[in-house]
Amino acid sequence: MIAVAGGSLAAQAAQPAPGTPGYRAPIITDTSRLPGPRQPIFFRHDIHAGQDRIPCMYCHNTVAVSSEPGMPALRTCFGCHQIIGGTTPAHQAEIAKVRKAWSDRTAPQWIRVYWLPGFVHFPHMRHIKVLGTGPESCANCHGAVNGMTQISQVSTLKMGWCISCHMARNVSRDCSLCHY
Amino acid sequence: MSDGMDRRRFLKVLGVAGGGAAALTGCGIGPEPTEKLIPYVIPPEDQTPGLATWYASTCRECGAGCGLHVKVREGRAIKLEGNPDSPVNHGHLCARGQAGLQGLYNPDRITGPLQRNAAGILEPTTWDKAIAALQQQVAAARGKGIVFVTGVETGSFGELVDEWMQQVGGRHVTYEPFAFEALREGNRLAFGDATIPTYDFAAAGYIMSFGADFMETWLSPVGFQNAFTRSHSFESGQNASMAKFVFVGPRLPQTGLIADEWIAINPGTEGMLALAMAQVIVSKRLGNVPPDAARLGLPAAADVAKAIGVDLPVIERLATEFTRTSAPLAVTGGMATHYPNGREIVAAVNVLNYVAGAVGKTVKFGADLAQGLAGQHADMATLTTDLAGGRVALLLVHGANPMHTLGGSFAQAWGKAGFRVSFSSYLDETAAGSDLVLPDLHPLEQWNDSRPRAGVYALQQPAMMPVFDGTKHTGDVLLQVSGKGGTFKSYLQGTWSALQKRLGGKGAFEDWWDAALQHGGIYGDAPSRTVRLAANALAGQSTTGMAAGGEVAVVFPHAALHDGRGANKPWLQELPDPVSKITWHGWVEVHPETADTWQVASGDYLLVKSRFGAVSAPVWITPSIRPGVVALPTGQGHKAYGRYAKDRSFNGFDLLPGEPNAYGGRTHVVSVTLTKTGEHRKLATSEGSTREHGAQVVTVLPLNEARGLKVGELDEEEIPEYAREAERGWADAQHESASLGNYAGEHPRWAMAIDLTKCTGCSACVTACYAENNLATVGEELVVRRREMSWMRIERYWRGDPAAPSGAAVTPMLCQQCGSAPCEPVCPVFAAYHTVDGLNGQVYNRCVGTRYCSNNCPYKVRYFNWFNYAERGGEFEAWPEPLSWLLNPDVTVREKGVMEKCTFCVQRIRATQHKARLEDRQVRDGEIVPACAQTCPSEAIVFGDLNSPTSRVHALSNDPRGYHVLARLNTKPGITYLARVVAGGEA
Repeated sequence: MIAVAGGSLAAQAAQPAPGTPGYRAPIITDTSRLPGPRQPIFFRHDIHAGQDRIPCMYCHNTVAVSSEPGMPALRTCFGCHQIIGGTTPAHQAEIAKVRKAWSDRTAPQWIRVYWLPGFVHFPHMRHIKVLGTGPESCANCHGAVNGMTQISQVSTLKMGWCISCHMARNVSRDCSLCHY
Repeated sequence: MSDGMDRRRFLKVLGVAGGGAAALTGCGIGPEPTEKLIPYVIPPEDQTPGLATWYASTCRECGAGCGLHVKVREGRAIKLEGNPDSPVNHGHLCARGQAGLQGLYNPDRITGPLQRNAAGILEPTTWDKAIAALQQQVAAARGKGIVFVTGVETGSFGELVDEWMQQVGGRHVTYEPFAFEALREGNRLAFGDATIPTYDFAAAGYIMSFGADFMETWLSPVGFQNAFTRSHSFESGQNASMAKFVFVGPRLPQTGLIADEWIAINPGTEGMLALAMAQVIVSKRLGNVPPDAARLGLPAAADVAKAIGVDLPVIERLATEFTRTSAPLAVTGGMATHYPNGREIVAAVNVLNYVAGAVGKTVKFGADLAQGLAGQHADMATLTTDLAGGRVALLLVHGANPMHTLGGSFAQAWGKAGFRVSFSSYLDETAAGSDLVLPDLHPLEQWNDSRPRAGVYALQQPAMMPVFDGTKHTGDVLLQVSGKGGTFKSYLQGTWSALQKRLGGKGAFEDWWDAALQHGGIYGDAPSRTVRLAANALAGQSTTGMAAGGEVAVVFPHAALHDGRGANKPWLQELPDPVSKITWHGWVEVHPETADTWQVASGDYLLVKSRFGAVSAPVWITPSIRPGVVALPTGQGHKAYGRYAKDRSFNGFDLLPGEPNAYGGRTHVVSVTLTKTGEHRKLATSEGSTREHGAQVVTVLPLNEARGLKVGELDEEEIPEYAREAERGWADAQHESASLGNYAGEHPRWAMAIDLTKCTGCSACVTACYAENNLATVGEELVVRRREMSWMRIERYWRGDPAAPSGAAVTPMLCQQCGSAPCEPVCPVFAAYHTVDGLNGQVYNRCVGTRYCSNNCPYKVRYFNWFNYAERGGEFEAWPEPLSWLLNPDVTVREKGVMEKCTFCVQRIRATQHKARLEDRQVRDGEIVPACAQTCPSEAIVFGDLNSPTSRVHALSNDPRGYHVLARLNTKPGITYLARVVAGGEA
């Protein structure tokens, strides 16, 4: 285990980018300063997507076909974590929560981070179709998730933000595209 | 995952967005505090969040057995559509079928078993106790009379009931308030065959209906209407022809609205008219008269003409027209088969079909349609006698509500039954009077099957988990009580396994079963057999009509509420009756002359009193009924049956006799006295005016004229010079703005063509629109104040002389998606605007509710949310739990202060565009189908891209019959109406 947190600038510079071979997610000792809402299980995208390089669509598997990206079912979590128990006491404690949830058949209630009001219809699949399925495509709106210890909202999701991208790419700005 | 409900809360968030939510995430719009994403523990295999899954099933709103496709999103059924594979309904549904969802999610469903306690109150119990109580009662009642009353059941469930009744020594009575005794007995009389034939409307060259409301409640309304429009439609061209449709009856039902000719006959003499026609055909040797017709001894047409008050030349003309085609079709049903002489009328119409050569051609015996298999009214009368005599120790009722539909002596005898069990899902009058209530699953939650006609086997499969855990499949209950054990699903598979062997189905049962499930059933052809005319076919005929001095009342089935089973569904309550346009209440139809006699105006109450009972009903004055006859719908007047049905209006059944008539049926026409009560009620009608005032909303053309029509002729209007100038300026401006940004380039223009020769006014589209677009039902009070939200309405006008119309003309009226829309420029906030693909967009989140757009709309198709209909517990709450589960997650639920209107189902347009884009192709013509067009049994509505020269809608908009409503206003509508063509009169 390589300790990165609190490491020198030089050590961080030597660290490969998240999602590339050799990247090690940091060890977190203080979660209170992490941006974004605290989740019922300390799920770390930087470990799953950044260090282990699991493709986004392994868990969010309907994003290319549906307006909804799909939240992974608990069975997906348990599929790996019935074997992977974690290497540190902190990790083991969090993974134990997953195993307990599975044995209780109770799904964790994640706090929603990205949210659109009901009068906006956002088709994920159309954006994936154009941008691709890799982490860099998701990053357009969700930021570099594979380097995020805890998910926080990086874009405003205001209409102006949508429109600016649609104008830059010269695609439709018709109101009824999203509002109906 | 998201539970799919978040969109529905949408506008509440507007308030949040302006203020508080910013604190949570530091963004302008943020989640409501602690919005949760709850994933599945184990994902269901056939569900993708955000995408719909479709299950094939069968509609059980009536006995016709139409195939269903149930649209399921995130585990909830949200829309019903017809199954295109089904030979019964060819992919379409009626309003009642569409409203099946409101039975599933009805807020007044019984959530668990109930048992009457010592204090006489129904209180919740457990299933173990309830079933033990039932078992105990069955054991005690053996040998002392056990009767099981069900609706018409033609599948495995009916067989299970039969088996169980045999086991315990009881009897199984099937009961439908509008049964087909006269049809069966009349067929027996004329042909010695008491089954129900199929009627080939599609192949008919001339159609006469003697009272049969075959597009509303009669046998198989969706299938019949679909077939009817295949023959009764007009394709342009010099030699274009269409089958003429003549309706014979004392009042015009919805079916009669599309008739080319209406003969307002004295009730009871329909059969004599048919015989007079037959006599003309035989004596003049019109067509190919069968040789055995001569010995019939038909009454002389001239004598009949005098006796029944229909002119002889009319009879002769009808006879000539009827035999000019090689495939004429006469049907009788509806109220004509509920007269005391209903059997004789059926026999007479059979004779007409026979002499004209229709039998074996358009009328084919062998199919034995399922609806006709209901028992006789006489069976229920016998049951009443047995009950009164204390000979029924245990009475079980499933799928029927005799306490409402029979009332009277049945209700009095009800208390004499030793023990009463109801399997109703709702606390209707019968369940409320029972000792034990074992709520069944809704048909959309259960396994079941039915046999709509010989050769067709329809399956039902659960489209979702039960809404209420406390409900239980009655089949499961019966298997448990009878000691057979197992589930009804395995019982059903047992009968289907036997069916596979019988039909010679190939392969393993599982594969055969899965294939049947996918298609909704097994669809085979009905066997056909020939029938011969019986020797005494004309026994018992008489020329006496019923309206001879004094008033007679016809108690007819409500087109939407039927016998009352639809009354607990707000969509059906708020659906304007296709003829009267009245919602949420009953009425009594009175001819203007009769109204003069009684000095009443529309809305005044009349006390209608027969020998058997009396009801007080508000008058609706209409020329669509014969003078001296009044007509009242059934359906309302419930004393229980939930919040939407209870204590509303009157029960038409109260006027009717309980005793069966000569052929074992129930007489629905009774002599009445009328008394003005002095009360008045403002009728909740959606009608503006019965006349068009020259606006030519519905263009009606005689067939001759339609043949010679040139393209564009109907739209020719005198446009004044100033308007032309304005139009040129507008065109320039359009040209300029069409090159800007978003609008530049090639775009589709979504458009619609509506064929008014096909539209029958059945109103299925209206209810489909409510279901697809989350339209709120507002209730009677707000309909009176004209605040209904019906994006699509059917306008009905009278044709010809206002006092004695020759018929009706109907048209669906919805947003015309104008190319030059009056609503758009007046919106101060650009909520109403023109989309690049030619829609009149309405951006709800931008709308501030000035209502200028509505004021400026010449079609009056914009609807304003005066209240927050989605508010939990609000005064006008439209979707109390769990009714809200049926909301379409793809469509925003609008809040108070917002204007809304038809969007051409823009959510379906976008979904199809998404699909096409993912598959790297263009949207195909006909791929986008709005909800109204999808359900239309007549296939009158065609949708597509007007800018595509190969699209169907492009071709139809250039049809000679095409015209635009209020074209002179230069609104350039996106909807092209094809003029109604009326057959008749031409050589």
